[in-house]
Amino acid sequence: MKKRFDISSLMRSKLTWAVVAEALILLVCLIVRPDFFKISYQPSTGMLYGNLIDIVNRSSEITIIAMGMTMVIALGGTDLSVGALVAVAGAIALKFMRWDVTVYNTPGDYTVYPFVLAIVVPLLVCIAMGLFNGLLIAKGGMQPIIATLILMVCGRGIAQIVTNGKQFTTGYSPFRVIGQGSMFFLPTPIVITVIVIVCVSLFVRKTAFGTFVEAVGVNRSAARLSGINAQMVIFIVFALTGFLSGISGLIYSSRIMSNDSNNAGLNYEMDAILAVVIGGTSMTGGKFSLAGTVLGSIIIRTIVTLVYYFGIASEATMAFKAVIIAVVIVLQSEPVREAFAKRTRARSQLAGGGAVK
Amino acid sequence: MMKTKGRSLTSRLTNPKYIMVYATVGIFLIIYLFGALAYGDKGFTTLRTFMNMFIDNAYYGISAVGMTMVLITGGIDLSVGAVASLTGMFIAYGTSVLGLHPLVCIAFSLVVGVGLGLLMGWVIHYLNVPPFITTLTGMFLARGVCSLISRESIEIKHPMMDALAGWKIYFMKLQDGEWVRIRPSAFINFNVIVFVVMIIIGTVILQKTRFGRNIYAIGGNEQSAKLMGLPVGRTKVLVYGFNGLCSVLAGVTYALYVKSGWNLSLQGAELDVITCAVIGGTLLTGGVGYMIGTLFGVLLKSIIPALITFNGNLLSWWGKIATGLLLLLFICIQKIVVNATGRKKEKKPAVKN
Repeated sequence: MKKRFDISSLMRSKLTWAVVAEALILLVCLIVRPDFFKISYQPSTGMLYGNLIDIVNRSSEITIIAMGMTMVIALGGTDLSVGALVAVAGAIALKFMRWDVTVYNTPGDYTVYPFVLAIVVPLLVCIAMGLFNGLLIAKGGMQPIIATLILMVCGRGIAQIVTNGKQFTTGYSPFRVIGQGSMFFLPTPIVITVIVIVCVSLFVRKTAFGTFVEAVGVNRSAARLSGINAQMVIFIVFALTGFLSGISGLIYSSRIMSNDSNNAGLNYEMDAILAVVIGGTSMTGGKFSLAGTVLGSIIIRTIVTLVYYFGIASEATMAFKAVIIAVVIVLQSEPVREAFAKRTRARSQLAGGGAVK
Repeated sequence: MMKTKGRSLTSRLTNPKYIMVYATVGIFLIIYLFGALAYGDKGFTTLRTFMNMFIDNAYYGISAVGMTMVLITGGIDLSVGAVASLTGMFIAYGTSVLGLHPLVCIAFSLVVGVGLGLLMGWVIHYLNVPPFITTLTGMFLARGVCSLISRESIEIKHPMMDALAGWKIYFMKLQDGEWVRIRPSAFINFNVIVFVVMIIIGTVILQKTRFGRNIYAIGGNEQSAKLMGLPVGRTKVLVYGFNGLCSVLAGVTYALYVKSGWNLSLQGAELDVITCAVIGGTLLTGGVGYMIGTLFGVLLKSIIPALITFNGNLLSWWGKIATGLLLLLFICIQKIVVNATGRKKEKKPAVKN
């Protein structure tokens, strides 16, 4: 019982750094722009506006993917193919809804195929690709990083072939709602993200599945011997990550109302992995924290917003991201935390000795 | 005497640890043969086409030398493309805007690139941060600094760089007592020479030095290497430093190849480089890999675009899919080879008992 408490406090200390980092970044934002936390209501669109809303809204693609990535990393692997799947989902969706030059002159409010197809087919294809990853890893026994590298290399090629290298645009309004509309006074992506977070958390924490994932991540053979169907767990996790990448792809393409096979989801795998790691989930597998991942994703987006406020080129945000992430990761690394723990222990002992005197 | 020497050579060559290298060479030859049969009349078999594969991919190859070593230690380095891009940026900005001599810029790039590599190696080993995350942060940092320098492409204009980029050695043949260029003319340039030299240096380091043995030992089992008293930390840090050196050299050759610096150049190159190493027979789990395999991996990766160019009808993104399939094929072969050798090892004690 006591040991368990130790582990949870360790996890909490990792999360603490993430919270502190986020608070510091927000503080800097507040100093740069005093009206940073202002949130206003726009009756015409029925949406709340404000920097905080914008940060959460823009981080939703990464947050959704990172939910699946958390479990992939808890299994001890990484999924590099998510960015490519985002591109594939967008390409397929737009293939079904493309603006046909021969019929209309401007991208209008219509779709070529039923809207359901444009939503369901991309998600199914993404699940299938996730299952392909799972097949290579669970049945083929390959390393996740290299197995998903295949689809990462292929995926954008597949997306190009789906659209024949063209960039389609659409003006179909139900599709616009996904990325630009509003629900319950909030931008739709936030609502979708919240639904995803709730569903995944319930699935993982209210069933035994989360424990299965952690067990397989710690020791696959031991998990198998204790009666867990490790292959099935891997299949489900990778299919889920594929599915979530598909949702993310739909949101991304709905934001731009177009498909962009070269840039859609570019570096998403990196951002998602970073979000997970900043959130305190170890890359060696085992314990994971979904709340930490959400926080990690928001931290990444807050950094980007902060850099915009300083009026620095968008590409240069990477340098600032790198510096802040480096600080967080170094603070989270084992030797540093141990050193901290030692120092506090020593101090408390000193303080205790003083009291005795 | 001769006989024993010959036998030892054949037994050395048939060592199962070279199977992956043979697979790479074999598949390269098969694809080359296919190209020769299909597009031989269009000039696929000429020396020029073959040399172009070296010229167009020299920078990948140079980076792959360092990457192979990193992968053999069981690590990974995602920062190579960004560091190479940063080098190009330093050279372009330094020569064109600041008016510095290119050698000064290259020296500065070397300090930055090797320094970043050593720092990442230090963080990986001593702070126990996973290589993937550490080098990803390094990539973001290098790429961000690129964009801070300039967001637009800068042309490289300097007599020395022009001379280096334009320097070529033509292949000659003796015709009627006179040396003439072979037709269609084929040549090698500075980049190819750097590539070949780096492959040779890499081979010597891996096969002939204590440092190289340590790399293999760490990749095989880091714990055992530590218990054997090998300098694990120093070796790992130096490997990442060497990879930084390779990235800078790749950046210099890329700058010579395109004669400009751009903050977004070589995006995604790190995964291309890793792909080259993997289809060259390097295991991502560490401990296995050869420079000669990496050389053929680079050639194998470059022959696909060449085939697509010669076909003329296929669109270029088929190249990505073909590369992905090639990767799949190689991983499957690796898996089969590893399984087969693993089973053999398992069987041995059973027979003894």
